[in-house]
Amino acid sequence: MQKDSEKIIYIVAEHFENIIKPVTYELVACACKIKKFYPANIRVIILGKETEKLSFEIARTTGLDVTAIEINELAFNNAQIYKDVLKELTEESHPSFVLFANTPHGLDVACGLSVRTGGACIAGVEGIDKIGETLCFRKQMFYGKINAHIAADSDTLIITVQPGTFGIYRPESQKPGSVETRKVQYSSEIMPVIVKRRSETLDSPISEAKVIVSAGNGIGERENLDLIYKLAGIFPGSAVGGSRILVDRGWLEYKQQIGLTGTQVAPELYIACGISGASQHLAGMKGSGFIVAINKDKGAAIFNESDICVVEDLKTFIPALIEEYEKESKA
Amino acid sequence: MKILVCIKPVPDSESEIAIDDSKSWIKEINLFRMNRFDEFALEEALSIKDRDKNVKIDVISVGSAASKDVIKRALGMGADSGILIYTEDPGYISPYMTAGYIASYVKEKSYDIIFTGVMSEDYMHGQVGPFIAEMLGRPCASFVVKQEILYDSKCVYAEREIDGGLIEAVQVSLPAVFTIHSGINKPRYPSLSNMLRAGRTEIEIIDSNLISFPVLKQKIMLLTVPEKRREGVVLSGSVKEKAARLLHILSEKAFIN
Repeated sequence: MQKDSEKIIYIVAEHFENIIKPVTYELVACACKIKKFYPANIRVIILGKETEKLSFEIARTTGLDVTAIEINELAFNNAQIYKDVLKELTEESHPSFVLFANTPHGLDVACGLSVRTGGACIAGVEGIDKIGETLCFRKQMFYGKINAHIAADSDTLIITVQPGTFGIYRPESQKPGSVETRKVQYSSEIMPVIVKRRSETLDSPISEAKVIVSAGNGIGERENLDLIYKLAGIFPGSAVGGSRILVDRGWLEYKQQIGLTGTQVAPELYIACGISGASQHLAGMKGSGFIVAINKDKGAAIFNESDICVVEDLKTFIPALIEEYEKESKA
Repeated sequence: MKILVCIKPVPDSESEIAIDDSKSWIKEINLFRMNRFDEFALEEALSIKDRDKNVKIDVISVGSAASKDVIKRALGMGADSGILIYTEDPGYISPYMTAGYIASYVKEKSYDIIFTGVMSEDYMHGQVGPFIAEMLGRPCASFVVKQEILYDSKCVYAEREIDGGLIEAVQVSLPAVFTIHSGINKPRYPSLSNMLRAGRTEIEIIDSNLISFPVLKQKIMLLTVPEKRREGVVLSGSVKEKAARLLHILSEKAFIN
């Protein structure tokens, strides 16, 4: 049996172009939450070609100890190298938990590590609690309508943390953590990787708008987008956005996409029309000042995140709202 | 070339989801459709077949009766044959289990490409594809938004959507696994002639009890309904009354003049 003082929680830092991604600090917040139920030492692992600047930055801002693994062959975030190196590290030091961000990269590496080490992997974790004596990891299911509390029986439990759910960690102590640097040579053949920006820009009117009227799958037919634009028309300083599914269909432009993979917005007023409200979308708008949701599905998850809930079909409600507005403004 | 597409049925986003008496799973749902991400994955395979008639597409699903229906739909869209790994228990099957069943089946076969949707809309794990790849020791590109087969080099050029509007371009040697993101194509509807053929096509059914692999222990202890994180005032009355009330609230808050 390991003593508490020997138990380890690993956090695998995400970084890109020599910048620590904010989600890394959300992983720290998650690790601290685990630590409340499960006393252990938290250590941040960072892999990269050059890690000095980043590893000291993490040690300084979090007060946590950092292991930096420098791999000359590591261009971008090559998942193959991450999996191989982290497998060795895991088998050497038997961490109780390994935390990744639930991003395309984090998920890929987490699944690989899970199969290679035989450690269970729970993806998209948004919360931690104890049910009886069992430590459980909360994740959304069924379009955000249900929370599942999942437990695993595993020597090493691998977790991917849903970005935008744990908040950013603020350290209690000002004392920086230590940094241990290792150099690893990677000799296997590597899958070539190139990273480029999407051709469309994200320079979008929705990031500046005071009011956003946003459409989701619930609008039904494409013609109903007209209603969304008409509704936006009654608010000064407004813009129209929407969820990914409408962008996929080509009904909206990519720069209008709100959510984790689109633009993240925080207008004074957000009107969600026919949006179900899964965490991918919520992460892009939950900082909004005042949220109104219109959805005919009374169980839609968006209502949990709203100040005002209108359980109506938007095809009848929005015309009624516009008619009422026109009547008022003439009076 | 042989392609395997992994598909699953999901309830629609507007379905009523209620927790059952065990508190660890949901009450039975009757209406399912094909996971939207899997439709994109299947369409990607079909478009390869459109260009090369020698391509054979199998679809596979792990589940029970509802899986049969989505396999039939996939055949109607143009897949050649369907495999169902039958599980009697309609409850939760973890992504590790699903991947384990599929990988066990694939081990005996010779698929050049395995496509999955990037995640299922209902469980939202996004793990089945990467798990299958790892279990088979094959490379994987996830969150793919564009792909092209490079026949000369037996590779696939794939573009993955990573964070913040970034695209990662990779060259993956076949055989390999790809998880397909939404928006990559416009999935076709089933055609009448294919649906008629689908009606006659026998689905290969494999009893999941006959498949064994090392299991990782993970289970749902409890389901709960998410808490409200804002006030969530529900407007009442007729449509007209609700409209008037909302307008009043919005003008009080000076969002409209």
